[in-house]
Formats: sequence, C-alpha cells, structure tokens
Amino acid sequence: MLRAGHRHQRETARQSWQLLVFSVGGRRLAVKALDVSGISQWHQSIPVAGRTPFVTAVVRQGQTVLPVFDLAASLHLTVQGSSPLCLKVKHPLGEMAMCIDEEIPVLHTFDPAALQAYQGKDLPAEGSYTNGLDEVPILSVSRLGSTV
Amino acid sequence: MRLVTENGQEGLGLGVREAMTVTSSPAAPSRFLIVTLGGRYLALDAESIQGVLTLKEAGYVENPTIHGMVYRAIDLANRLSVSNDRGGTDTRVVLLSEREARGNVRVTTVHGLLELQQSQVLPLPMQFRGLERHWYRGMILFGNSIALVLNTNWVLDEQVSGLDGSGGQENTPRLVAAPKISVNDSRVC
Repeated sequence: MLRAGHRHQRETARQSWQLLVFSVGGRRLAVKALDVSGISQWHQSIPVAGRTPFVTAVVRQGQTVLPVFDLAASLHLTVQGSSPLCLKVKHPLGEMAMCIDEEIPVLHTFDPAALQAYQGKDLPAEGSYTNGLDEVPILSVSRLGSTV
Repeated sequence: MRLVTENGQEGLGLGVREAMTVTSSPAAPSRFLIVTLGGRYLALDAESIQGVLTLKEAGYVENPTIHGMVYRAIDLANRLSVSNDRGGTDTRVVLLSEREARGNVRVTTVHGLLELQQSQVLPLPMQFRGLERHWYRGMILFGNSIALVLNTNWVLDEQVSGLDGSGGQENTPRLVAAPKISVNDSRVC
C-alpha cells in the first residue's frame, strides 16, 4: 500500500506541469517551464530589417545572437517597467528571446486535467487555465512566429 | 579578426580599384566593409566593392561614372526600410559591382574593413523566414553589436536589367571632371 501510494504520488507529480507565469503589458501568460531556457535582464535589442511578422530584432548575449519574438507587439501591448526581463525559450528552430514585464515570473504547478481550450486567437496556445477571473493562456512555444 | 580602420596604418585604400582577379581558397579569410546606415551596422563583401568615395569625390551626382562605368544609385535605406540619414559629413558612396551589375549605395559612416574567417559569419536565425533571408548572408559580431552581412546580389538585383552597356547612361548626369580619387592597384586594404 505504502509503495503503491508512493508510486501514485510519483505518477501525479510526473503528470503535473511546471508552468512559468509571467506578464507582458500587465497581461498574465504562462509557458511550460520545460520550454524555458533562461531568464535574464533585458538588454537593448538590435533591429533587423525584414518581413517576418514580430521577428524584427536580435539580442546579443556574449558570442550568442538570439532572434527576438516581439510578443508584446503581437498582443498590441507595451512591455511594462523600466527594467524588463528577457525570457529565453526553446523554439524548434533555435533558442528565441522575448521581452517581458519586469515583474518576476513565478513557477506554478499545474494539473493538466484543468487545462481548457484557449478561446482567444491572439496567440498560439496549448490551452489555458483559470486563475480567479482571469484566463491565463499557456503559450505554445513551438508555434510562436508561425501562426500568430 | 582584424579591423582595419579608415585611418589606420593598414591604409584602407578606399579609392577606386582596378579590375583584378582574385582567387580565394576555402580557408582564405573574408573581408567585409563595415558601414552604418540608419543607425544599423551593415557589412558589405569587400570582393564586391570597387571603391569608397566622399560625396565630393563622387561629384555630387546620384549616378557617378567612374572609369567609364556608371554606378547607379541604390536607395538601400528605402529597400531596408530604415531611416535615411544621408548627406552628413561622414557620408560615403560605396561603389559595388558583381558580375555585370554595378551600383552605388550611400552610407552614413564607414567604419573600416573587417577580416575574418567565413566560419565567423553567423547564419541568420531560422526564425527570420521572410524575404530578409535573401537580403542577408549572415551576421558578424561587431563591437557590442552585430553587423548584418548584405547579399550583394540582392543589393544590385534591380541594377541587372538596366545594365546593358550604355543603355541608361544618356539620362545619367556625368561628371564634369573626373573625381579626385585614389586608385589602388590590387588591394582594398
């Protein structure tokens, strides 16, 4: 029984998702922690003239240059705070950076059983969950830049 | 990586160069002219550069004729949708040539030549999936920033159809006098 209980706990833990909850323009969004490669201070981005929607800059971090997905612009929002953060995500085409509000992101353990379909069309989402009155979309990182 | 500054000892020799034959091996370093346009660093393949002139040396004309060749103006700022800050004291006219196409681009500042291995040219991230993939050949780490390596073929693309000998030269203002330019025998730097 005890062993079975441990196994059950482990399975429950395995099934839950670790989400990183952050905000852009004051709007709460979430992303799977597994899709996140790092958070750091945002440094000035370097504009790149082009035609790809919302991918119009890069950030340089040492010898690494990362493309920037302008999540705020795609949501018609403006990043809040004087010290915004850089959220780096694991995109299938390579690591990508996004500028997010200065508010420190928080980890949130999420039971996928509570996953809802995201009704919005403004961003690619794996679904959403309800937090009070808010619907928090869970970003689909792999579809960022391709379906918005 | 070696930056040869405009006033450096290496002597940039950014006049107009004579026709030359260049044989490059895969291991040979590549040279890029680093310029600023609209506040952005751009890199131009030195192999395609025929010269760098001041506005005065270019004769204050849009389409200078150098050694009998017309270098038509290319509005690079417009094509890249960046601010056009031409006309400053540091403005330079970069003469470009590749195959049968020739053109000139006006840049805000010329920073100098950068010599580096081809492996040091970083690919444009795949997330850039629009037309810009044809505009750039990659990126170079430059200072605390990056310089985007322009695809000279794209830069000169609009020039190809119009360059069939003397075709468009009749309406092109020609220099009253040959510009005072320094001619470099074989090397850009």
